[in-house]
Amino acid sequence: MPMIVCHGPKGGTGNTFVAAHLAMGLSAQGADVTVVSVAARDTLPLHFGLTPAIALPALTAPADEAVLVGGINLRSWRRAPEDLDFVPMLNDLGYFQPGKDRVLVVDVPSSETRLARRLIDHACAHVCTINAQPDTLALLPQAFGEAGIEGLARTAFVINALDETRRLGRHGSAFIRELAGPRLIGRIRMDEAVPESIATLQMLSRYAPASVALSDVQQIAEAIAPTLDSTSAAWIAPVSRAA
Amino acid sequence: MRIDARNLLDRLGRNEFAYKEFEDRFSDLELWPILEALLRDPRLQTLDQTVTDGTVPETETVDPELAAEPLKNLFSRYEQQSVSPSIAKPVVEEPVRDVRAMLRHLSDLGARGEI
Repeated sequence: MPMIVCHGPKGGTGNTFVAAHLAMGLSAQGADVTVVSVAARDTLPLHFGLTPAIALPALTAPADEAVLVGGINLRSWRRAPEDLDFVPMLNDLGYFQPGKDRVLVVDVPSSETRLARRLIDHACAHVCTINAQPDTLALLPQAFGEAGIEGLARTAFVINALDETRRLGRHGSAFIRELAGPRLIGRIRMDEAVPESIATLQMLSRYAPASVALSDVQQIAEAIAPTLDSTSAAWIAPVSRAA
Repeated sequence: MRIDARNLLDRLGRNEFAYKEFEDRFSDLELWPILEALLRDPRLQTLDQTVTDGTVPETETVDPELAAEPLKNLFSRYEQQSVSPSIAKPVVEEPVRDVRAMLRHLSDLGARGEI
């Protein structure tokens, strides 16, 4: 069971949105997907059309307590940042093996950098969601410095909420493209349908099947899929679709 | 999606609509100071080193044109008539292989007063 870690350098960039839709995209490709939120206050259920009252069961909770949406198993592990046994537990549960039989997508808040680093060491891919705004770009040197060469080895970038009708958005996007090269695996265009779908308690695919953000994030899931069959020793970079 | 937008897309027979014509000529652009400051930060070279050291990665399908796009095209792609927002065709000139090269190129342009 391979693990994909979703973690960005700054909050509010859409990391949870990307994690949720990666899970949906991989599930649509035949993977058996579990998505786990390690945030103390998570919004993951909202992207699956669930109400704010839904509390996700713990990763170790019995199957009869599971929250399943479209075959995707939604879980939480809020004490992950302090839990030194979290990584060994994932290993025991078989989450570090390649293959599509079972896939784990972990939604890690931007503030939990240490946890993210611990997880990325065992992941088949790290999806770093950023936006093209200057305050996010300003954090990249620090994030790169903390991660180091080894830490960035499995990192792929996604630009979210991209508005190319704005000059600064275009320039920020161009800067990221130049910086990340083929590691930029996609961009998700700004789409009002995303918050509207949450407000209507519907999944985006149901609320706005023609959403450009939906088609963009589905392409990113397709780009990530080949990494599921790779091993950490011979990681295969996702396919860049960020032209 | 608003119903009027939905109706417009239906009449056009499309499921999306995006602006595709931009007039960002390279010579007219101001270089945002924050981007220049970031380009001078050596920590951003870390990403480049992961590639040049060969520690990562086999890439399965990477558009070689994208990997070799020069800094000059950083902005000039917006002058092009793009067919699809997801499949732009960059103009390929001299290759820039890494951030260091991009920084050198930036410095050269600055020294010549071209930016």
